[in-house]
Amino acid sequence: MADLNDGRLDLRRSRGRFIAFGVVAALLVLGLGGRLFQLQIVNGEVYTGRAVADRTVEVAIPAPRGLVFDRSGSPVAVNTPSWTVRVRPADLPDADRRRVLARVAELTGTSGARLRARLEAFVGSPFDLVPIERGVTREAALLIGEESDDLPGIVVAVEPTRRYLDETGAAGGALLSHIVGYIGPVTRDDLLTLEDEGYLRDDLIGKAGVEASFEEELRGTYGSELVQRDASGRLVRVIETIEEPQSGTNLMLTVDAEVQRLAEQSLIWGMDVAGVSQGVTAVMNPQTGEILAMVSLPAYDNNKFAAGITTEDFNIYLADQNQPLRNHAISDIYPPGSTYKLVTGIAALEEGVTTAGREWPTYGCYQIPGAPEGECLFDWNRQGFGPLAMVDAFAKSSDTFFYQMAIQTGIDPLAAWARELGYGELSGIRLPGEEPGIIASTEWARQQGRAGVFTGELAQAGIGQNVIAVTPLQVLNSYAAVANGGNLMRPMIVRGETDADGNLVREYAPELLHRIDADPATLQTMRIGAREVITSGHAYNIRDLDLPGALSGKTGTAEFGELTEAGTLPFHSWFVAYLPSAAGATDADLAIVSFNYSAVVPGNVSAEVVKYFLQLYYDLDQDLRLDPNDFSLVTAN
Amino acid sequence: MGVATATLVETFKARDWRHFDVQLLLYVVLLITVGVVMGYSAGFNDPGAGPGASQTVKTLMWAAIGLTLFFVASSVDYHWLQTLGAPIYVLVLGLLAITMLIGTNLFGAQMSVTVAGLDFQFSEVSKVFMIAVLAAYLASRRERIGRLSTILVAGALMAVPTFLVFRQPDLGTALVFVGILIGMLFMSGASLGWMGLMAAAVIGSAPVVVSMLHEYQRQRLFCFLDPYADAQDACFQLVQALNAVGSGGWLGRGLTVGGEDQRGYIPVQSTDFIFTVVAEDLGFVGGIVVLSIFGLLLWRVLLIGWQARDSFGMMISVGLASMLLFQLMVNVGMVIGVMPVTGIPLPFVTYGGSSLISLMFGMGILQSIRMRSHKPTL
Repeated sequence: MADLNDGRLDLRRSRGRFIAFGVVAALLVLGLGGRLFQLQIVNGEVYTGRAVADRTVEVAIPAPRGLVFDRSGSPVAVNTPSWTVRVRPADLPDADRRRVLARVAELTGTSGARLRARLEAFVGSPFDLVPIERGVTREAALLIGEESDDLPGIVVAVEPTRRYLDETGAAGGALLSHIVGYIGPVTRDDLLTLEDEGYLRDDLIGKAGVEASFEEELRGTYGSELVQRDASGRLVRVIETIEEPQSGTNLMLTVDAEVQRLAEQSLIWGMDVAGVSQGVTAVMNPQTGEILAMVSLPAYDNNKFAAGITTEDFNIYLADQNQPLRNHAISDIYPPGSTYKLVTGIAALEEGVTTAGREWPTYGCYQIPGAPEGECLFDWNRQGFGPLAMVDAFAKSSDTFFYQMAIQTGIDPLAAWARELGYGELSGIRLPGEEPGIIASTEWARQQGRAGVFTGELAQAGIGQNVIAVTPLQVLNSYAAVANGGNLMRPMIVRGETDADGNLVREYAPELLHRIDADPATLQTMRIGAREVITSGHAYNIRDLDLPGALSGKTGTAEFGELTEAGTLPFHSWFVAYLPSAAGATDADLAIVSFNYSAVVPGNVSAEVVKYFLQLYYDLDQDLRLDPNDFSLVTAN
Repeated sequence: MGVATATLVETFKARDWRHFDVQLLLYVVLLITVGVVMGYSAGFNDPGAGPGASQTVKTLMWAAIGLTLFFVASSVDYHWLQTLGAPIYVLVLGLLAITMLIGTNLFGAQMSVTVAGLDFQFSEVSKVFMIAVLAAYLASRRERIGRLSTILVAGALMAVPTFLVFRQPDLGTALVFVGILIGMLFMSGASLGWMGLMAAAVIGSAPVVVSMLHEYQRQRLFCFLDPYADAQDACFQLVQALNAVGSGGWLGRGLTVGGEDQRGYIPVQSTDFIFTVVAEDLGFVGGIVVLSIFGLLLWRVLLIGWQARDSFGMMISVGLASMLLFQLMVNVGMVIGVMPVTGIPLPFVTYGGSSLISLMFGMGILQSIRMRSHKPTL
């Protein structure tokens, strides 16, 4: 043979390597043939048998999620049919991924990057259908269907989507979002524990509010069916239904959406005139603990979550310093200020520090016992009130009176009575994210590495300042317990179960947490005091409302944070009230609390909010709301 | 006669066609036919939307375009690829970089050129172009071929496009690039010692590459180790493929006749699994026939390389041989459960216009090399 490398060739052509390449290639191809022989001829029978078995698979049938109705039976969380675009990753070649998702994004009016992110976030089998866009319009769904030849792996199907309604039945998630909450896709971490409970990889689960806390009831029981899968894993036909799905339980809230709207309307007004950016109003039936309204502002739109919230929208919520995603009524704790004098009063009476009739001197500034001369704590009224007994001291909200009560009672008995009234503990309301709060005690001081609480702190604790932090719901529930004659109820958010039309079919029983272990006379003294707050104290003109009962309550101003340039502290405003038929009666069926965060205006905005709410709720002709410019007419505290 | 004397005039000399390798074209046409028939058979009873007929028509359109390109490439002296080596390399990088960087949303559709409703992807043709680029480089190394620098520079040349397609993400094409590089280096006469070291380094970096994969890619990748461990999910496709192949027996179940109890279980949507259709419908005999055609084709390609007039032609030939062998091995190996599931098309058979056109272009170049070689005695 001629030498191929002769002269004209610039690389040496190696016969050896050509032969090696050829031999390797031949061996490899032979190897494939051998494996083919093994599969088809030697083990053919085995695989033929398996081929049948692997074609059927048990698939879950999702149960329709339970509906949620308000107290009056109007739906506030429903399932509406909507189109969902899904991807089966195995059918979508990597090389086509960008093009296909970009086209789907174009048709559905979203961005390809977002769809890709959702697809990539999914962890599971490439044969699962990954939902990448929910709530797609019918038109877009049809267009995607028409182009299905060019959109491999894309499947469009109708599926129920959660929709949250307001009191009129229109889509309006913000009204009840903190109560109803929302559902969203299960996360990878959730799945580790939930897969055993039958959750699917692309399943939805309650993430907040009743949707989360009543997940078990609302979810229902998924059924299952035996289906035939095709080669690409698609379901071809149902062979048999193994188990029918059981619809989720329909629930009725204790909340009345219309009352909720009134509470929201009055709170928005008050926050607006006082320039407040966070506020709470909650309304309860003291006899049962049923929450009739619970507004936390700012709120969020849970319909955005139901449709799959965008990162931008979610980040806007997260970045908002007023924390719209948090239910401030139960998840955030604030100093209760003078509303806490209820605790101090009951503690002092029960611990024998004072009697209902015993008068104590009050001061412009109270000298702390044991502290250097001149180290005193001011009353909000720098003149002092002269001698006062419990009822008047509560009505006038004398700080120096309650400093003395607290110091005489001692920190641990005071803390024990706080717990007796539901502070420092979870109320047990069936909503996620409740906070127990902080109640100063010797134990609490020790946890901070101190031997005990300072006397100054003890005095401050007596007026709900500095070392006390509570949720608005705790304040409401403690007054409700006193109002109903001493039953600390577990606040209820769901009233019972309904049929599909919102008719109550099974009512949940109110739950007594415990009887308040106090002399009925003590509670009566405090109820009289609360009535006096309205009639002779400084709740100002709220007494002039033509209400069907003897409104009783307490104002509060709670300083917090750091000194302003004017040398004063910013403060929150509180007002809590209930409406018995007569002064001291225990038949109140309405209690309300309003809280305004950093409401630094001369008057008590919260009292104005409650006043406005009562006007709306009882449909009064009166409008006694103060001119916003005239808030200074109301004495604070 | 030297390389430089190849001129346009010579290009069209009628005598070139006397050396036209009919066998090469025959095997290619046979494989395309297998692809068309099997694609039609697979789609025939597909319960999903993919209509077999329209896919068949598309494949035939691509085949027509491919054949045209094949004859054009055959008739032109292949040395234009050597002359334009550098610009071609820049072009490949540019196309792949654009695909990776802005191949999103708005520009996504533009990165695959649409001709009469047929999409075209650049990563496929970049394989053929990269073979030409490497061939031009290796041919220029002459007596320095045995140095380490040869391997390093060739590796670097290949690393950039490999990374770009890997990030697309297109794991399959990235692996093919690596296969081509190894095959060509070996055939160029590069130092076996240095290549061994390089191979060790590549194997050492495998865990890093695996960690960069998407979860579903990873799951599929390792199915072949124990497909029945996760038969319902990640490995469902592979299990179905094994069962389909296994149930083919000696002569198979025949074309399109399976009916609902048979057809529909072969992963027709992922045409990378087309060989399962061959094995199930035509059985062991059919599978061996197809493998044999590939064997014959590889033989022709290697022979053309051996007989090529110059190193550049030789290197292109062995590059194409490496690509074909690698894709054959990984694709068929995947279907029969001896290779990881990666998504590499079976040359000529898997439905896909970009792949077919690029292959036909490569075969045209091969034919061009063949027609311009001095036929030596063996």
